[in-house]
Amino acid sequence: MKELEIRGSQNYVPVEIEDYPTSGWDKFTQVVKRTLKGELFVGLWVVFREMVKFDIHTLQYPEEVLPVSPRYRAVHKLLLLLESGSERCIGCGLCEKICIADCIRMDTKVDENSRKEVTEYSINLGRCIFCGYCAEVCPELAIVHGPRYENVSEQRAHFALKDDMLTPIDMLKAQKEYPGFGALSPNADELVKKTPLAY
Amino acid sequence: MYEMLLYLDGGNMINFKINGKDVVAQKGETILQVARKEGIYIPTMCYLEKTTPIGSCRLCVVEVEGYDAPILSCQSKPTDGIEVQTDSDELFKHRKNIMELYNVNHPLECGVCDKSGACDLQNKTLEFGLSCQSFTAKEQNRPKKDWGRIQYDESLCILCEKCVSTCNEAVGDDAIELHFGGYSSSIVPKGSETLDCTYCGECISVCPVGALISKDFKYTANAWELQKIPASCSHCSAGCEISYEVKHTSTEDQTQKIYRVTNDYEENTVCGAGRFGFDFGNSETKGDFSEAVEKLRNAKSIVFNSNITNEEAKILSEVSKKTGAKLVNREALNFQNFLKAFAVNAGESLYNGTLEDVADSNQVVVIGTKISTDNPAVRYALTQAFKRNRAFISYLHPVYDSLLQNTIRQFINYEVGTEEGVVALLVDTILENSELDLDIGYLSGETNVGEEELEQIAKISKRATKKTLVVGADLIAHPKAENIAKFLGLVQRTALWKVLIVPPETNSLGVAEICELSDEAVSPSVGYNMKADFVISALGGDFSVPALNQQEGTFVNLNREVVKTHVAVPFEGRNLNELANKVLGSDVENTIDYTKELFGTHFDDLEIFHLETEITSPKAEVSEVEDLPTFDGTLIYLSNPHLQFSPFTEKAISSEAPLLGSEQFAVAGKLSDGDEVEFEILGEKFRRKFQIDRNLRGVIALNPIFDMGLSAYSLSSNYRFQKAKIEKVK
Repeated sequence: MKELEIRGSQNYVPVEIEDYPTSGWDKFTQVVKRTLKGELFVGLWVVFREMVKFDIHTLQYPEEVLPVSPRYRAVHKLLLLLESGSERCIGCGLCEKICIADCIRMDTKVDENSRKEVTEYSINLGRCIFCGYCAEVCPELAIVHGPRYENVSEQRAHFALKDDMLTPIDMLKAQKEYPGFGALSPNADELVKKTPLAY
Repeated sequence: MYEMLLYLDGGNMINFKINGKDVVAQKGETILQVARKEGIYIPTMCYLEKTTPIGSCRLCVVEVEGYDAPILSCQSKPTDGIEVQTDSDELFKHRKNIMELYNVNHPLECGVCDKSGACDLQNKTLEFGLSCQSFTAKEQNRPKKDWGRIQYDESLCILCEKCVSTCNEAVGDDAIELHFGGYSSSIVPKGSETLDCTYCGECISVCPVGALISKDFKYTANAWELQKIPASCSHCSAGCEISYEVKHTSTEDQTQKIYRVTNDYEENTVCGAGRFGFDFGNSETKGDFSEAVEKLRNAKSIVFNSNITNEEAKILSEVSKKTGAKLVNREALNFQNFLKAFAVNAGESLYNGTLEDVADSNQVVVIGTKISTDNPAVRYALTQAFKRNRAFISYLHPVYDSLLQNTIRQFINYEVGTEEGVVALLVDTILENSELDLDIGYLSGETNVGEEELEQIAKISKRATKKTLVVGADLIAHPKAENIAKFLGLVQRTALWKVLIVPPETNSLGVAEICELSDEAVSPSVGYNMKADFVISALGGDFSVPALNQQEGTFVNLNREVVKTHVAVPFEGRNLNELANKVLGSDVENTIDYTKELFGTHFDDLEIFHLETEITSPKAEVSEVEDLPTFDGTLIYLSNPHLQFSPFTEKAISSEAPLLGSEQFAVAGKLSDGDEVEFEILGEKFRRKFQIDRNLRGVIALNPIFDMGLSAYSLSSNYRFQKAKIEKVK
């Protein structure tokens, strides 16, 4: 067995690797040994033992999902203003412009209050590379990456439409400020340059 | 060599230095103009090449050695030997200060502003590295103003006054002005509560920020998303250079759609029809292809109009050569005959005037056209001639035009039908030693053109250095057009006057040059955007073809330039070329393959060029002016309102089409405002609302024809004054 160099403070355990057989006889004995040793039953025993003990370590997906880091970039969400419940998105089109996969599209028009209204917003998740630029460029913290990472679809072009991403109005209280990509830095207030307001 | 001669001339050249570089200014040039010519950058916010310097932004300040205070380079002309500095720490500080002031209370709504991404204020703010604001002013309530197609947002306005000076000096509407009030200054409609103008939208075009915007376009697209398709406007013969700005229709629908039309406002001025009337593409694909081919193959005549590209005209003439069908286009035929007769005495096959000539002139005579609606580009050139050179403009027409009241110096009202006499008198006046044998007393009496008025034209003509005669559609479709054209030919021949004959339709000149035309249609006929037995059209009809913003090709505009247009919106069906391929048995892939046959260059390599004129030996033959006709009774002039030219503009812009008459006309015809009336002109029945227009004078009513569908084109090929019996609908 070769000596393995162990680096750093990590506790590496070298795996036992026997030398390869060279002569024909050695090869034959290795095959016989491996066939008749009964290692399979060792493994089966371990499984059976743990099953009886009900000591299960695997995640019960889809009942259970792994919690993801807030900085993880999964399927996008569109957020609402916490105070008024109106949409944060102003339709400036910066996300559409910055998107390097060219997968964001939006339709805008003038609404009855003479404000810019976003009538449709879609992201082609088949093209999206989840780079996070859209969330980073958004001046209103309207588009963020949410924690939903399931992207199974029957088609290559799989769209997330505005209704899928927008926080439902009855879920407004549960809407969390997004701490990840494109969020305000903790010292954002200090960075603001003040404009004189003499009146 | 020519340059050297100018140099030696010396008197007109001024030598001075900008940033240490030796430069030469011609007399009359400002420091800014010289700097731009030399590629030296001086920032500006309010400067417009086509108007007199406004001087409101004060960014263009430069230092001149020996002077204490900086001066405005846009207004100052250099003197010999001065040394100009365009950039120094002091100037930078000064300019940065100005930019900071511009940003006081400028709403931070770049996120939604239509101008964002193409905004001068954004660009200059970044250029001067402004990162904070040290000034303050109390925010005021500045509500948005609704001005019809235009929206004015006072809070975004930086009061550069570009819009005011464009409206006044380039367009001539003079519809807006600056309301002085210090910090609460704003742009207001002149002399009325709401904006009352021709809605050319040039103010939107020149606005450096998002203060003046098109209401239809508002919030539908961002500047950077739109793809600019270079094109020539297809509505009138000016063929203005425009850009169709296109983007996909919506998230669901990927087909390209035109969102707006923009122009290079330093180069040209576009009218409202060009700017707002872009949505005339054909989305229908009606009709059976093989049936259309059969009809075209068996047609005895092909009726078409001049709202067509040169390539299509070429295709039609190829088809006509193959099948023996006659090409019928009365309006282009009139124009062709007019030019032929004109050439006899002019000694050139084409007229020699251009829009630039009109704008540079110091005397202009306009005859036989209601130019402000017939061809707004000529009107803008007239405005510029008046504003820049104080040009003496005479306007000869039976109908008074209030839109020109600030531009023209002399309005000569002649009797309807007497154009031949008027032209004879005019030509006799402006040509010294004309040797024309005219019965001036008789002509003057019949035409109602006073001798004093003509004398005034003659007097000015002696002094004026650049003179242009603008000739319009009334004369081209006149029964005596041939003799009129011969008279006009004499004017061009003298070389003292430029003559601009305004083609009546978009490409009348192109069609007149390409096609052999005849007058009367015989059955079975096929109409290309015209009424006939079988109609191939972009406006309904039996078989659908693409409209002019769905095609590539060339036009010949009124400057005699061959200009190009490109596809802005797709068309799903077949086009004329495919029909012609079947008839001709040929295999021409694209319509633009005919460009090479026409002009010898492939479409993609074609650059704008002037049509060459053939020089012939000029004659001096004019027929005697016989008895002039008199028109009695109710007279109607076929004339479209502003924003409208044809069924295509009608498709894009909806507007009312009332019969307009003066108060005098109403009294004479016992009509009152709002009456429903019926009348018949040239076999077409009209039913219209009568409206009194207080700006009109005299007893001629104006009847629009743009809403008559394909009949509009056949109507417009006639003499435009017609008698009619107007009946009130009970």
